[in-house]
Amino acid sequence: MLDILTQNAHFLLLGQYPSGPIGGLALTLILALLGLAFAIPLSLLLALCRVSPYRVLSVPSTVLVYIVRGVPLVMLVFWSYFLVPGLIGHLVSAFTTLVVTLVIYQAAYLSEIVRAGIESLPTGQTESARSLGMSYGSTMRHVILPQALYNMLPSILSQCVSTVKDTSIGYVISVQELTFSAQQINASLLTRPFQVFLVLALVYFAVCYTLTRCVQGVERRISRRRASGKMSNVRSLINDSVLQS
Amino acid sequence: MIQFSKVSKWYGEYQALVDVTAEVKQGEVVVVCGPSGSGKSTLIRTVNRLETIQAGEITVDGTSVHQATLNLNRFRSRVGFVFQQFNLFPHLSALDNVCLAPMKAAGKNRKDAKRQALALLDRVGLASKANSYPQQLSGGQQQRVAIARALAMEPPVMLFDEPTSALDPEMVGEVLNVMKSLARDGMTMMCVTHEMGFAREVSDSVWFMDRGAILEVADPQTFFRSPEHPRAQAFLSDLRH
Amino acid sequence: MLLHLDFASIFAAPNLKHLMWGVQYTALLTLASWVIAVALGTVMATLRAMGNPVIERFVAGYVAYHQNVPMLAQLFLWYFGFPTLLPDSAQGWINAHGGEFIFASVAIGLCMAAYYSEDIRSGLRAVSAGQHEAARSLGLSFAKSMRYVILPQSFRIAMPPFINHTVVLFKNTSLAMAIGVAELTYTVRDIENQTFRTFEIYLVGTLIYLAISLGLMGVGAAVARHTRIPAK
Repeated sequence: MLDILTQNAHFLLLGQYPSGPIGGLALTLILALLGLAFAIPLSLLLALCRVSPYRVLSVPSTVLVYIVRGVPLVMLVFWSYFLVPGLIGHLVSAFTTLVVTLVIYQAAYLSEIVRAGIESLPTGQTESARSLGMSYGSTMRHVILPQALYNMLPSILSQCVSTVKDTSIGYVISVQELTFSAQQINASLLTRPFQVFLVLALVYFAVCYTLTRCVQGVERRISRRRASGKMSNVRSLINDSVLQS
Repeated sequence: MIQFSKVSKWYGEYQALVDVTAEVKQGEVVVVCGPSGSGKSTLIRTVNRLETIQAGEITVDGTSVHQATLNLNRFRSRVGFVFQQFNLFPHLSALDNVCLAPMKAAGKNRKDAKRQALALLDRVGLASKANSYPQQLSGGQQQRVAIARALAMEPPVMLFDEPTSALDPEMVGEVLNVMKSLARDGMTMMCVTHEMGFAREVSDSVWFMDRGAILEVADPQTFFRSPEHPRAQAFLSDLRH
Repeated sequence: MLLHLDFASIFAAPNLKHLMWGVQYTALLTLASWVIAVALGTVMATLRAMGNPVIERFVAGYVAYHQNVPMLAQLFLWYFGFPTLLPDSAQGWINAHGGEFIFASVAIGLCMAAYYSEDIRSGLRAVSAGQHEAARSLGLSFAKSMRYVILPQSFRIAMPPFINHTVVLFKNTSLAMAIGVAELTYTVRDIENQTFRTFEIYLVGTLIYLAISLGLMGVGAAVARHTRIPAK
């Protein structure tokens, strides 16, 4: 099994770069980062729409989130595959399709986390800010969101780790990320599928488990800061149903 | 009824109970008091084996508690235990809380268990709250339901581990009244408590503990008026301030 | 772009029949995986609650693996990799008896078992030690106190994440299309290849998934509401 690793390490980790397009683990990570770069701001927007008192904002955003949560990612990928070229007017690469899908998918899930964070803050926070004369936007920006995001940081980071796993869906539209690359290696070797896919699983495990441990470290630091009395206004979110997927 | 014979317990290096020898006779009400960390809760928890002991023997009604061959569940159903934190079952109504053990551990049918439970709830003054859930009751009411629950198994002896310490002051009285009526009815009781008024009124014997050992055993009148042991004197004077 | 919608051709036989078969396979796969996941998840949570350090580390490792490897990679490992470890006769038997479906159920079931065991575990941990003590003090045996006092409470606490993970399990069945299970997504693609009515068939497929997901969430919310411990 080790020789599969050594012989194909370059392809698995970097694809054909520098003599071709990037692939493998590198592409997986690029997809995740790119997806999150756009998804995080979009998720803030979505969350604000969902908690907004204006139905013209809250209803469509709620519908969007429910659709994304209720439809499998693979179906969403196929939708993007067909819709995005239609909307833009010309063909796009599978890479772009995947990024667009990941952005929308992660934005929906992240927006649920942010929303839970906002709603878990005591109403006294908003009340005191507004009583001081701060506008809604100012209250959100300087009082609510900083606390909400800090409290939900572990969940947000967990969702980021999930994004790395979700990039594997690129396989179905032939994006050269890690899973697709492994399948290509398997197709060329043919006689050792168990070893190839075990290597695949272990590479994902190494990356995601490391990231998960970092998230747990962040969680511990936040708990310690809370225990020392610096953050005393958080209600327990242990069993918030939204956060569990 | 309850006999402690040279009972010792260690948590690692720390000795929580030091050679405790004492007796609670049938029908007696014993109050165990002392500063925090003195081992009083540990002592009472060894009686129904919520805590183990490393040396000595405890017998309840002739049964040795810490022997390996004891039928623990049957034994525990003969010893009522009331917790400081009530520990009512939140997913069951007050009535169901009281009915559970008679039905599932003693095998009573639902009708008999229900009838007995209602009678017990009435005895503690909470018949009207039979269908309420613990979260809907005040602390004092919860503790009274807990007492009814412990009485449902008809134990010959009742243990109380600081039953009023977690209550707001205005609710302490209602619980103490239930305990006093139990005492007057002849129940054998061992109570860890700070409530000296209760001790003075109904107890037959006061045990003063400090650092794992029983330092003084006296009747309430003697103990409260003129305790012998210097640490007991210090404790009582602290309490009075 | 797509002003001329034609639902008739996608619903014409045999496409409609294929679609129904696809829905059926999805339902069957969901059920099979769910049963495996719940059974295994409960066993693991119970084993973990017993306190043996070896078992604890094994279960912790199991959970870590299944939560950090994508479902698709796990599917491939099971479907492509695992059979090669079996003797030829076993491989032959599996291939003749719907191997894709079996491996898909196993893969999804084992993966979601990790999530369920964590849900049950956090439910168990949320019940205070005082509840155990009170139940045992009344003379209830360990088994009876679990059955009548601890598990009812932890079950109610674990319900919301449990329901969410059930919806995740259902959505994960769509990945089985990558190993050839003729479930709904696979069938949708198939019909699209036949009729070229891309938008219509994907719309129908999406709506079916949405209906079932929302249905599951709704049923779950109703069950949670019905069994919830009354609050103040």
